[in-house]
Amino acid sequence: MTLFVEQLANGLTVGAVYALVALGYTMVYGVMKLINFAHGELFMLGAYLGFTVLVSTALGGALPAGAALLVIILLAMGGVALLGLTVERVAYRPLQRANRLTAVVSALGVSIFLQNSAMLLWGPRYRAYPGWAVPDVRWSVAGVHVGLMQVLILAVALVLMLGLYYVIQRTFLGAAIRATAIDHDTARLMGINVDRIIQLIFVIGPALGAAAGVLLGLYYRQIHFTMGWSYGLKAFTAAIMGGIGNIPGAMVGGLLLGTLEMLGAGYLSAAWKDAFVFAILILLLIVRPTGLLGERVAEKV
Amino acid sequence: MRLRIAASLAGLLVLTLLAVPVLAQEPLRIGLQAPITGPWAYEGEMARNSVEIVRDQINARGGVLGRPIEIVLGDDQGNPRQSALVAQRMVSEGVVAVVGTYGSSINEPASTIYERAGVVNIGYGSTAVQLTQHGWQYFFRTCFRDDRQGAFFAQLVNETLQAARVAILHDNTTFARGLAEAARASLQEAGQAEIVFYDAVTPGERDFSPILSRMRARSPEVVYYTGYYPEAALIARQMRDLGIDAVFVGGNAAINDEFVEIAGREVAAGSLMTQEPLPTDLPYPQSKAFLDEYVKRHGQPPSSPWPVYAADALNVLAAAIEATGSTDGKVLAGYIHDTLQIDGVTGPISFDAAGDREGAIYLAYEVASDGSLVPYER
Repeated sequence: MTLFVEQLANGLTVGAVYALVALGYTMVYGVMKLINFAHGELFMLGAYLGFTVLVSTALGGALPAGAALLVIILLAMGGVALLGLTVERVAYRPLQRANRLTAVVSALGVSIFLQNSAMLLWGPRYRAYPGWAVPDVRWSVAGVHVGLMQVLILAVALVLMLGLYYVIQRTFLGAAIRATAIDHDTARLMGINVDRIIQLIFVIGPALGAAAGVLLGLYYRQIHFTMGWSYGLKAFTAAIMGGIGNIPGAMVGGLLLGTLEMLGAGYLSAAWKDAFVFAILILLLIVRPTGLLGERVAEKV
Repeated sequence: MRLRIAASLAGLLVLTLLAVPVLAQEPLRIGLQAPITGPWAYEGEMARNSVEIVRDQINARGGVLGRPIEIVLGDDQGNPRQSALVAQRMVSEGVVAVVGTYGSSINEPASTIYERAGVVNIGYGSTAVQLTQHGWQYFFRTCFRDDRQGAFFAQLVNETLQAARVAILHDNTTFARGLAEAARASLQEAGQAEIVFYDAVTPGERDFSPILSRMRARSPEVVYYTGYYPEAALIARQMRDLGIDAVFVGGNAAINDEFVEIAGREVAAGSLMTQEPLPTDLPYPQSKAFLDEYVKRHGQPPSSPWPVYAADALNVLAAAIEATGSTDGKVLAGYIHDTLQIDGVTGPISFDAAGDREGAIYLAYEVASDGSLVPYER
């Protein structure tokens, strides 16, 4: 039982990170029907930006720990949002009228470009988030070990996800995004500036990814320029699992994927973890080809 | 134009005249194949420095069989293809024997060529087990085979740490799995400490808590990780996070500066590592003399364990040529296999039938509280 609760906690922590990254994939797909393969790289750059801000500024000493972390996360989100906007302008906007395959190739190109840029900027070796960034607080209740960072990741991720859900479902802006997702031309007839909405998507998605990157860096302390690929793949899987194009689907998919992964590794074998997860994904897609929450086509974003 | 040709010819004549006295002493030409450029350039450079010191020491004593030693340098760039080319050149230049090279996968193609040509080749950093399993007659190595480290770990657990419950983790790479299997075999053979957990992690993974939680249930006292430092650092830290207070022991690829940085000093401190002794930690008088000379010439001691094995490779060759009075590859190989026994820079040296060095000289290192590696003393 102890093992189960602990793996559940680990799974939710990792899953929250997957969910934040998965939102970026699913939103872009919802609005543009495009898999943004550069998204994993934006997540990785978020981790590196957070790292740079953390080690190169005096923020840690100047502000109380919590406020400093908030500032670092916000700075990384802002920086990566700008980058996301640039990627959209440079790599996707010129291809708006081209067929989908062209856009996918362009996305892969951006991904390789960003990955190599990170390698040149920060070096090919592993970088480590400084240990003082988050106090190493851990609780042990009835043999279950849970850390402050795990609680923090889950909390930040939930706040961001609920905020996004509110914006999409309850505001005019959200209605415009949903309308654009359903039909670009009709949305345009309704007076919605579709280009602006697409830009907005490329601000929100990468910003969430960047937040995930910083949280991940703080949690494991170790970042590497290639990590965008593996986490991107997992998050993409999570988006598919939940039903791609569906925002709550990405959240559920992420948390589910993380939990399955950790339970699989805990009870079966760590070496077979990925095989286990993808086997479940295949089974799920056989039963429900649109993913867990994928059938509400009319509302997909 | 004609003037220039005349000048060149004159220059050539002078050079020939200068070279005559050297040729008169018939130097013994011994090859050094090392990665002088390329990704392991620093290793190649230190090996070359070490070999040159031994050459000068021997020549100062009057050489071997009254002939001075001349080193023929071949740069294999740490590249298997280049390695084969270098080996071809060494053979066609007719070197007596070869010292080299560093990487196991680089040594493999070269050794095939040396074997065919009957040239003795003594590797100095190639530790992969398979190299001595081809039945080669002319290949030797002064460094120890990877699996000897596993035996050393077993000894560390049973005698020094006196632990009863051991967990072993590897990452399924050839090297790490080989080391883990060797450690397990040695522990089972000794029959003292019990292996309570044995499993593999995936390289590149970041979250090891599931496997570590399972390991915790078996309450090990010592955890041995035989893989590389990126995962080692995360495992060490996540062990502490999960409340496992076992001693973390890494193989010789697991602990370095980056291990300390990623794990954090407070976690890294007290971790142990099984490794070939650094040159500065070798206890023998001849090592001290060698190191003093090295520091005098280059300002600091070699920063990795390997260069001194290159020095010993040349020591072995010189001793074998002196004792047999021969430069024939077959005679030398036979002598090194069966009879040779010398005190090298890295301790007593003798070889078994496969060409592996006998014995095993490893040290346990501990991460000190300032993050540096110091020899472990209980």
